Amino acid sequence: MKRLLVRPTECTHCRNCELACAFYHSGAPTPVGPRVIEVRRVRTVPVPLTCLQCDEAACVAACPADAIRRSEETGALEVKPHRCIGCRACEHACPFGAMYFSEERHVALKCDLCKGNPTCAAFCPTDALRWAEA
Amino acid sequence: MVKMFIDDRRVEAQEGESVLDLARRVGVDIPTLCHNEALEPSGACRLCSVEVTFPGWDGWRKLVTSCLYPVAEDLRVYTQSERVQKTRALLLDLLLARCPDAPLIQRLAAEHGVRTTSFVPRAEPDDCILCGLCVRACDKVGAHAITTAQRGQHKVIATPFNEPPEECVGCGACAEICPTQCIELREAEGVRSIWERDFELLRCQTCQAAFMTVAERDHLVKERGLEESYYQECPSCKRQRVAESMAEVVLKTHPDFVPKQMGGEPLPPLPRVSRPGVRP
Repeated sequence: MKRLLVRPTECTHCRNCELACAFYHSGAPTPVGPRVIEVRRVRTVPVPLTCLQCDEAACVAACPADAIRRSEETGALEVKPHRCIGCRACEHACPFGAMYFSEERHVALKCDLCKGNPTCAAFCPTDALRWAEA
Repeated sequence: MVKMFIDDRRVEAQEGESVLDLARRVGVDIPTLCHNEALEPSGACRLCSVEVTFPGWDGWRKLVTSCLYPVAEDLRVYTQSERVQKTRALLLDLLLARCPDAPLIQRLAAEHGVRTTSFVPRAEPDDCILCGLCVRACDKVGAHAITTAQRGQHKVIATPFNEPPEECVGCGACAEICPTQCIELREAEGVRSIWERDFELLRCQTCQAAFMTVAERDHLVKERGLEESYYQECPSCKRQRVAESMAEVVLKTHPDFVPKQMGGEPLPPLPRVSRPGVRP
């Protein structure tokens, strides 16, 4: 199965992935999003941060509406927007801070690997984010 | 597999689903105001009304709410007939008299050709359309803090005995799901106010930002069996923690790390390690 490989050593902190992600998830390539990837620099190391698609995920356990489900195709956990009731339990439960909430659409937002073709990886100029077999 | 027709188009339905679910799945648009896939359908808004008929009915057609009507063999559904259009326009006309200031109702009504209401608008209108989404969302969260009270034209969404609800955890799901955003939720100085009750907000241990109510944390830990340690930091500080631990790994494995944009040479790839328990 293909996975989103994250390699901080290759990252140049250009934040193209953030813009691409915002474009895919909110329709506008704005630096403020909403988006589900973020690059933070700790000392000298830039680290792209996104959902790890946990096997036993806290967001799934927290959701009372069963709105976060595993995609058979990509292995990603996807938010079903028509099932989300906006309680934000997932956002607060995620131990990695990878759940977001769209104030505009009133639904939870998370990395769904763009249904099998991650936009962040497609726009990464240095292969710090790569969509490949692992 | 159930074979039936929507707007004279042959479709295959799954046993037990509603006409609305089927229509949405095959790409037929039916407007709704009170529907959410995770919540029990209630047929409150009536906007999803469609006409149905069976071959044995001699052309007689019945008007039903598609969110509550189960699919059936040989069922014929009409979602755009003149009677359906008229019904929707009338419902929106009535809703416009009830909530003349709600942008969502104004937009939907205009889409159905209703610019101004032909009824007498309510003297003191609010934006509540009595769809009951908030009540059902609250039940789903497990708090059961609000309900519909009274009936007919006196029907309202209310808390038990119109008092600040004891069971409310202040999660705000009712306010988020409300299609007309008419449930008031205020936040100021570490206190969230909703349904005339004040909730103390939990503060992030690291940055002191208020991010959820203490009552909601307790509710989630108790009802959904989640670790209390998940709720010590706000999402942003959690991300910082992940970033720090990843950076630590990089600096440990590459002590002389220089980022690419600062002239660093491409690094040799890390040795592959087998990780038991990780799916292939």
